[in-house]
Amino acid sequence: MGCSSSLPGRSSEQLGGLNNNPETNGVSDAKNLRVKLVLLGDSGVGKSCIVLRFVRGQFDPTSKVTIGASFLSQTIALQDSTTVKFEIWDTAGQERYAALAPLYYRGAAVGVVVYDITSPESFNKAQYWVKELQKHGSPDIVLALVGNKADLHEKREVPVQDGIDYAEKNGMFFIETSAKTADNINQLFEEIAKRIPRPSTSS
Amino acid sequence: MADNNKAFLVEHRRRDSYGFALRPQHIERYREYVSIYKEEEGERSSKWKNFLDRQLEYGQSCSCEEECKEKSQGETTECALESVSNRGREGDYSSGKTSDSDGSTKCGPETVLQLSEEDKEEVQCMEELKNEVQSSKEPQNEVQHLGESGKEAQHSEQLQKDVQLSEEPKIEVQSAEPRDLQNLEDSQKEAQFSEKLIKEVPPSEVRKEDSHSKETKASKIKKWSLIRPSLHAIENLMSFRVKNSKEKKNLHIAKAGGHLPLPKEMESQTEEDVEEEICVKEILDENFSTSAETSSENTEATKEPFFPWKEELEFLVHGGVPKDLRGEVWQAFVGVKARRVERYYEELLAEELNVGESDGVPIKWKRQIEKDIPRTFPGHPALDDHGRDSLRRLLLAYAKHNPSVGYCQAMNFFAGLLLLLMPEENAFWTFVGIIDEFFDGYYTEEMIESQVDQLVFEELMRERFPKLVNHLDYLGVQVTWLSGPWFLSIFVNMLPWESVLRIWDVLLFEGNRVMLFRTALALMELYSPALLTTKDAGDAITLLQNLAGSTFDSSQLVLTACMGFLAVTEARLQEMRKKHRPAILEIVEERFKKGRVWNDSKGLASKLYSFKHDHVPLIEEEKIGEGEVSQLNTCSSNLDDFLIGLSNNSEADSLPDLQEQVVWMKVELCRLLDEKRSAILRAEELETALVEMVKEDNRRELTAKIELLEQEVAELRQALADKKEQEYAMLQVLMRVEQEQRITEEARLNAEQAASTQKNAVCVLQEKYDKAMAKVAQMEQRVVMAESMLEATIHYESGQARAVSSPRSMRNPSTSIESPRRRISLFGLGWRDRNKGKPVNEDSSDCTSSNDGKDSKTLLSHNNNKDKRQQD
Repeated sequence: MGCSSSLPGRSSEQLGGLNNNPETNGVSDAKNLRVKLVLLGDSGVGKSCIVLRFVRGQFDPTSKVTIGASFLSQTIALQDSTTVKFEIWDTAGQERYAALAPLYYRGAAVGVVVYDITSPESFNKAQYWVKELQKHGSPDIVLALVGNKADLHEKREVPVQDGIDYAEKNGMFFIETSAKTADNINQLFEEIAKRIPRPSTSS
Repeated sequence: MADNNKAFLVEHRRRDSYGFALRPQHIERYREYVSIYKEEEGERSSKWKNFLDRQLEYGQSCSCEEECKEKSQGETTECALESVSNRGREGDYSSGKTSDSDGSTKCGPETVLQLSEEDKEEVQCMEELKNEVQSSKEPQNEVQHLGESGKEAQHSEQLQKDVQLSEEPKIEVQSAEPRDLQNLEDSQKEAQFSEKLIKEVPPSEVRKEDSHSKETKASKIKKWSLIRPSLHAIENLMSFRVKNSKEKKNLHIAKAGGHLPLPKEMESQTEEDVEEEICVKEILDENFSTSAETSSENTEATKEPFFPWKEELEFLVHGGVPKDLRGEVWQAFVGVKARRVERYYEELLAEELNVGESDGVPIKWKRQIEKDIPRTFPGHPALDDHGRDSLRRLLLAYAKHNPSVGYCQAMNFFAGLLLLLMPEENAFWTFVGIIDEFFDGYYTEEMIESQVDQLVFEELMRERFPKLVNHLDYLGVQVTWLSGPWFLSIFVNMLPWESVLRIWDVLLFEGNRVMLFRTALALMELYSPALLTTKDAGDAITLLQNLAGSTFDSSQLVLTACMGFLAVTEARLQEMRKKHRPAILEIVEERFKKGRVWNDSKGLASKLYSFKHDHVPLIEEEKIGEGEVSQLNTCSSNLDDFLIGLSNNSEADSLPDLQEQVVWMKVELCRLLDEKRSAILRAEELETALVEMVKEDNRRELTAKIELLEQEVAELRQALADKKEQEYAMLQVLMRVEQEQRITEEARLNAEQAASTQKNAVCVLQEKYDKAMAKVAQMEQRVVMAESMLEATIHYESGQARAVSSPRSMRNPSTSIESPRRRISLFGLGWRDRNKGKPVNEDSSDCTSSNDGKDSKTLLSHNNNKDKRQQD
């Protein structure tokens, strides 16, 4: 008789494990984090370039148009000896592809919204994405606002302060980067890694 | 120059034979496959050559018969016969390796050219003649446009056939122009270069310059060319498909105009949107259905005998289309000739140039196109400035042609690919066919069909690969994350180019999206074993992405796709799409309601209208309108304006007029009915799912029971083992007991033995004792005897003495007698008491004889012995 009572216990444990997995997807354990990150922003602001610079250390001024989305992953080590594996979804920029974006940002622990500092329109689009993520993203999503193409400062049309102000207002992390010169690319991801909530030891 | 060569060498090494960039990690594998590709290419070009040669002959005999029937065109019959004989000669020359002149320059160095002179001339002549031919085609357009009854439509079809037939003989009559010879020379030069290129690295600058000069010339000279005659049969086959869909579109125009639909529409139900079908069915008057049947029978009858070789063609297509034929074969598959409206393309471009930004293609699309052009196959040798200009023109023209799609990322790749294979206008019409028909609703603003297809694909995956999907679910990976980009890009950039082109071959041949699904399923089948070993989401996605990107075995992929998933058919997909579409529509409508940031002022209703109400009629109207315009040759600007106004109206979303609203309401009603139906379907599905779940539950219960029983069995086994152990222990105890028993037995025996020996000893002692007693008795007797003897002697002595002595002495004898007696008694007593005390013994020892002393001594020792033994 004793065995019958132990059985349901075991099966429910198994089920629990299954259900928990997607939720714990973002964090595997305290020392080795796995993070789903999604890059959003207007077409041509350099999302793919940021990812390629971060993952492969390359920059190609004539990279291909992204259709739908593309995936890359990269692991970084932090000073406190934790490692963070970024699972990066780089999405297509054209606005009609926004219909497919929820597929990719759903369940993401980090949302990186990119705009082009030479294009005010892309800054507007970035604000749209921030709103969308706030509304439909994970409730504890870490948001970063990135002004890319910082090397083109002579063509700048979006003042740094605008970015800082908007990010501050929305509780986001803000940074200006240049995928071309690799400026602030690693810093961006390191800062994000620091901001990711660590799994509490009790769980 | 040497440096340039080197640079080109390096560059070339990173590109495949189509000129597309290779990923560095794939270069090695690509090299492995180059020889295989070459081998396959050789096989397939000979197969196709065979096929096309036979086709040509067949086509001639067929067209001959047809033409003979056409009594009305008496004069052309002669020409036709002439052409037959002409062609008979040509048949030997026109090999499968021919390519049209312009296509070759666009394709660049990749195509091998072996153009036969006759063929060349023919192509050129056809081009020269196209205006003439077109003029005879136009009445048909008008008829089609105005056609209100099935009869008329059929008549127009007949007319079109006539036109097609009359086309050929006229071409034959024309003679070649000097320019053609020039072209031929060029292309022959080209052929030499390209042959070199295939074998080795091409001479970079020379070749490039060469192609540049030709390209500029080509783009100026002509943007349109007809495909080789050997492919006409295929073209005719495919143009039926086009006609079918065109007729359907006409139906929409008829509906929009408040007319009754054409009964002919009934025949083509497989390819079109399900929603529309329902509308057709419901709106159709029953009176028409009978005539519809007969008319469809008629067309079926005329259709069937035409293409007995379709299966063979299908087989060939599965094996791949030869490189140098691909551009033209694709055009034939898409039915470019049947789609083309003369001067439409130029007019679109002219309008785009003349009209200000406000009226033309919306600025957002223009900007997006500008952004994307340099990002389309960056660095491809053929996509230089001229190539990019063509690409831009094509995309802008399409955006203008179909404002409901406009421009969508991914289309740049398709247009680019087509431009590499064929002249610009041909590419445009092929592109129109692909996007407007095969991928209708895919790249529109809401991308509804592409989302629907993803749901369908997910369902198919769950059905086909439940284990894999479970694993991916467990990892938290959605199949659609990867299949979405696959479908949207039609695998361009997702797979190696050879595979992409092979998939496109089949896809364009079939004229629907079935191949997308089959290919995606085939990829899953090929890579599911590897995917099942992955341990986290990132690894799984990366793996699938990388594996797909290195699917160099294109034949295996296409074969797996075409043979392994025969159950995935267009009809089945349509059914599934119908089931899933409402869910997507709901989401889309939800998004409208929310009001997006970049949503313009369009209202919900009008938006709904613009996407529910199929865009095609408007465009078609416009297109046919264009045809009319060109036919009248009077550039009726009024009509033009009206048409532009119409298309702009739909753009600007001024309220549709009442009739259109009625139609829209009808469509909406149909949609609702459809939704209701699909809701019922869904309910049924849910029910089955519930049953399934219950079954699953039962299964789980059963497994639980089994587990329970198993545990019990295990317990019993354990008990059994315990018992065995106990038994064993008992046995051991028993054995020990037995051993002990044996020991005690032994001890007992020993004791018994001892006892018996003691008994023996006792007996011996008894005997000895008896003997001793007997001796004692003897001794006593002797003593008695001795006493008596002693008495006797005493008596004797006394008698003597009495005789001698006084009476006193007489008394003395008495006392003396008494005294021996005393002594004897004393002796006796003393012997008896000897055991008790030595003193007595000592006393008596003096008196007893030596014999007695000895006896008593042995006795004593005996006694002592006995004592001692008993003590032991």
